[in-house]
Amino acid sequence: MNRRFIDCVRNRTLVLFLCLAAVIVALPSRAIGQTPEERPVPIITGSAGYFTNVDAGQTELIPEINPVLLVPVGDRWLVESRAKIQGSYVHAPNSGPLEGEFEESLDYLQVDYIANSHMTVTAGRFLTPFGIYNERIYPIWIRDLQLVPLIFPIGTGSSDGIMFRGGFPLSPTVNINYAAYFSTLSTVDQFESSRLAGGRAGLFFTRPRIEVGGSWQKQLQDDRANLFGFHFAWQPPPIPLNLRAEYARSNFGSGYWVEGAYRLSQIALWNKMMRRTEFVARMQQTFPGEDKPTGNSDYRFPSSSVRQPDFGLNYYILDGLKVEGGYSRWLGKHNWNTWTVGIAYRFAVPLGRPE
Amino acid sequence: MKYKFIVVAWILVLVSALFGTASSRDSARTNEPGVQTPDNADVMRVEGEKRFRTNCGRCHAAPQKFPPRMMATIVRHMRVRATITDEDMRLVLFYMTQ
Repeated sequence: MNRRFIDCVRNRTLVLFLCLAAVIVALPSRAIGQTPEERPVPIITGSAGYFTNVDAGQTELIPEINPVLLVPVGDRWLVESRAKIQGSYVHAPNSGPLEGEFEESLDYLQVDYIANSHMTVTAGRFLTPFGIYNERIYPIWIRDLQLVPLIFPIGTGSSDGIMFRGGFPLSPTVNINYAAYFSTLSTVDQFESSRLAGGRAGLFFTRPRIEVGGSWQKQLQDDRANLFGFHFAWQPPPIPLNLRAEYARSNFGSGYWVEGAYRLSQIALWNKMMRRTEFVARMQQTFPGEDKPTGNSDYRFPSSSVRQPDFGLNYYILDGLKVEGGYSRWLGKHNWNTWTVGIAYRFAVPLGRPE
Repeated sequence: MKYKFIVVAWILVLVSALFGTASSRDSARTNEPGVQTPDNADVMRVEGEKRFRTNCGRCHAAPQKFPPRMMATIVRHMRVRATITDEDMRLVLFYMTQ
């Protein structure tokens, strides 16, 4: 096939995608009318936490705050942004004083336009929709285990560009959700991103509460690699169990994680306390690929095969305040333990009259 | 040549977005979501709780009930983040503010 033909097919695919987007945008939206009492007000929300990790005998203190600014404009617009301010302090050699520093990063700064019931158009810097962890489970007050999965560096992070996303019911018991995006190359400080395009789609079966989906990403620079992944989530209605799993594959490696979180609310003994307690177990495994692993200093994909079981115990003092403890065992070329204890808090403060 | 295709497609997107916005404004005028009969409100509350568990409960536990205007912002944020449908969003908002 010659290059001209490939370009032609690409152009037609792009045009088809944009035409499809046009048709969906043109579908009339249902009313988003609000009473004056329900008119949204700007708020600052987010989470704060303090964690202590003991990783292979090395103690690390991690205070962090993740403020989220939400500014609704009119009936259909939302400006939202999240920053991450995280410290990392470890003892100097020979039991010396604590040394470390705070680092700041901008996770997203985006403008959302709710075009209709089925589509939102997002522009700016946004969380790359690859799998479910980065967008849905990453905030410290939501994640059940503080250590992120080993495959987290595959396909995730932040992108600068445009995104179309939304959801609609396929039938009374099946919903579909989707996201398609294009990101441009940026080397601007705090706005670093790669040139890439990709998408994610998922089916949610409301009766058994099962979600299955897949993600795809095409790098439009360097080696123009393809990445793909699958995700699964299940909340069986009769029991307070939350099962999630992800698989991701890239040119620098692949891997999976499977996690189960069980609220002990069905235990009659000390029920008042038990229903606030959650037990978590996760198994994960990675396999190295042909290329050298990439990723920032916080999240680096392992360069050799690793298996890692993780266990955790969470106690919810309030709905937005929890204390937690966790244990992980790294099983690779060398083996070691990681212990984690900490506290996470979710806050929300209105920037106007809330009622 | 390829830029012509892209420009035409984008014009199509923008024009249809404008039409979409206009038609939704019309439908907004015909619906009055703020007016609820007691029976209807009960049904919406029950359905809203169900939709909350189905959508929001997949990632996190039920939060405390914030004041209505704060809740409206949070639900709009979650609509984008969790790609929940328009109908689910309105029912969840009703449930969380009643």
